[in-house]
Amino acid sequence: MPEEKPKSIDRATLELIEKAGKDKINTVFSRADELKPCPIGVEESCCKICAMGPCRLPRPKKGEGKERVGVCGATIETIVARNFARKVAAGAAAHSDHAREVVQTFIKTARGEAQGFSIKDEMKLVAVALDFGIDVEGRETGDIARELGEKALNEFGKQEGELVYLGKAPLKRQELWRKLGTAPRGIDREIVEIMHRTHMGVDQDYRHLLQQASRAAIADGWGGSMISTDLQDIMFGTPVPVLGSINLGVLKEDNVNVVVHGHEPLLPELLVVASRDPEIRRLTESAGAKGINLAGMCCSANEVLMRHGIPCAGNFLQQELALVTGAVELMTVDVQCQMQGLKDVAECFHTRLITTSDRAMIEGAVHIEFHPEHGLDTAKRILKMAIENYPNRRHAVYIPDQRQDMVAGFSHETINYLLGGLFRASYRPLNDNIMNGRIRGVAGVVGCNNVRTTHDSAHIAMIKELIRNDVLVLTTGCAAMACGKEGLLTPEAAKLYAGSGLAEVCEAVGIPPVLHLGSCVDNSRILMAATAMVKEGGLGDDLSDLPAAGAAPEWMSEKAISIGQYFVASGIFTVFGTTWPTTGSEKVTRHLFEEYEELYKGMWAFEPDPLQAAQLMIRHIDKKRKALGIDKARDRVLFDMAMRRALD
Amino acid sequence: MPDYQYEEKEDFSGRKVKVLGPTYEEGKPEEREDWRSKLGGREDALRYIRTAMRYWYSKEWYGSEKRKQEA
Ligand code: SF4
Ligand code: SF4
Repeated sequence: MPEEKPKSIDRATLELIEKAGKDKINTVFSRADELKPCPIGVEESCCKICAMGPCRLPRPKKGEGKERVGVCGATIETIVARNFARKVAAGAAAHSDHAREVVQTFIKTARGEAQGFSIKDEMKLVAVALDFGIDVEGRETGDIARELGEKALNEFGKQEGELVYLGKAPLKRQELWRKLGTAPRGIDREIVEIMHRTHMGVDQDYRHLLQQASRAAIADGWGGSMISTDLQDIMFGTPVPVLGSINLGVLKEDNVNVVVHGHEPLLPELLVVASRDPEIRRLTESAGAKGINLAGMCCSANEVLMRHGIPCAGNFLQQELALVTGAVELMTVDVQCQMQGLKDVAECFHTRLITTSDRAMIEGAVHIEFHPEHGLDTAKRILKMAIENYPNRRHAVYIPDQRQDMVAGFSHETINYLLGGLFRASYRPLNDNIMNGRIRGVAGVVGCNNVRTTHDSAHIAMIKELIRNDVLVLTTGCAAMACGKEGLLTPEAAKLYAGSGLAEVCEAVGIPPVLHLGSCVDNSRILMAATAMVKEGGLGDDLSDLPAAGAAPEWMSEKAISIGQYFVASGIFTVFGTTWPTTGSEKVTRHLFEEYEELYKGMWAFEPDPLQAAQLMIRHIDKKRKALGIDKARDRVLFDMAMRRALD
Repeated sequence: MPDYQYEEKEDFSGRKVKVLGPTYEEGKPEEREDWRSKLGGREDALRYIRTAMRYWYSKEWYGSEKRKQEA
């Protein structure tokens, strides 16, 4: 019998998996034991886009040189590329539809029609308005915001031209995108075009299909995701470092526990406001609870953590386990990454599961739709439901005692400030330390958890290996939360885990060796930080020149594929773990893993072993250092006065 | 004056030098420090955008992209 893989490296998770088992409650962990991945689907060697299929085209047995085609004659390359492109379309659509909701709320906020919302960050408003070519001189804040909202909304349906934010990328990258025909027009247009091209009997050239996948992915990273990040910052404030805490131990037995889960920070922001309302406080007391304890889950957690220090209950694979504690009165879910299994787990306890988005209902859950016009009233109504539910706990509460402090909130603007101060804000110190070799390079490690990989294990192994080798790590999403639980998001982690060069820099600046940049849409902040490094100078002219790499070792969602594709199309070498969705076709895989380096100067790789994957990233970083001529730490010449005079 | 701590480290030539140790305060912060609140009104913000965020908002600045010789 092969030894069973541990389900998690996190003690709180393991304790609650055990409790769920004893209580006969099904969770993602037990369901995964029963349901193994389909061997044909795992390679994406099947097509079901027309009713002559589904056509399943498993790999031929060794020695069988048979060409694999579907009933219509579609080759395995076409089928695998179509499946891949559709994943990108779904991922880009998810981020961008989130963005659309944000823009629509932003417009209502600018018009004064959104209850409880305001423009909190005028500096960011002015900066983004300038990006959109809006005149800001002498104009009222609301007036600028209205024009910005309308222009941002136009980015979705634009039929011609290019997305405004492409202009923020390094000039060389912009030229390359134009040359390759991958500069996106409107966000929606690129996504719809994938759906058209992958319909039966349309685009049947894998390279051409994947070119459109890049175009839609760029429309996500440099469009939808970036718009979400920026407009959320304007409404809720650009994140600055904040002390928070993470893991299931943030739940409190004597409090009304409300978990906010999902992705859009709109309602969660108002739940934070409403939880401080005197009426809500009074009701909480009269229910016999010590307070209302808001806690986040998945990317909603990242959003409210970064802006308010609200504790994080956990990441993707911990969502059902939060309910298994028996301590959660109510969980709100909006869109993305919320498992339908939550409903059955909630039913085993007193927990009320509330769906809040007009785009996502769960059969059996209570639906209370969020609309910005009366958002604060909705938030209060939800909290009142939670308070009323507090006396209904029917089971003994069990909350694991694991919780860990962490620092989050490193927007690219804040990194700029931290590196140089108010009067000399700059990425120069970072570039200098990369050039002198104290920092070897930068890695973006992002993405989900996947039950097929021991929970959090690949994130932590990879990131520890990277920082030990002096690679500064930028992280978002569930990867960031894994780091939080492991204690990597505190300044003290530099001394404990980082190589001496990176540790020195972290100590001098007062930052952790792993920087939490936010939620999944905030991967756009990584693009901006990397662009600032290019534009600061000394590390080449394009993102692909940087000693940098990306990874998602525990990815599971289609959004992750879209993110990876826009990292790669932006010139960043990106390694995924766990599984890879083009193994059904060697040609398609070779195109993404090798030919992309020629085309985009950035390419994909797949390596399920996180340490090997980290080594691939480090090798790539070293290759880039060599190309830049900074492969050896340079001796620094300190000028004394006599040398200075000689220069004059 | 706080008592600064010094540590002995090697410089690039391998010479031992004394460098200033960590200067951050012990313990956890009570409040978050929002650097943006140090900026005054719109004028201040615009000035900051054009200097600190020159990568995108200053006409004179294009870092290495401005160089004649490619890196
Ligand atoms: S499009 Fe072709 S390969 Fe796909 S299901 Fe129809 S017949 Fe089969
Ligand atoms: S990182 Fe992945 S699992 Fe986590 S919230 Fe984002 S998409 Fe969902």
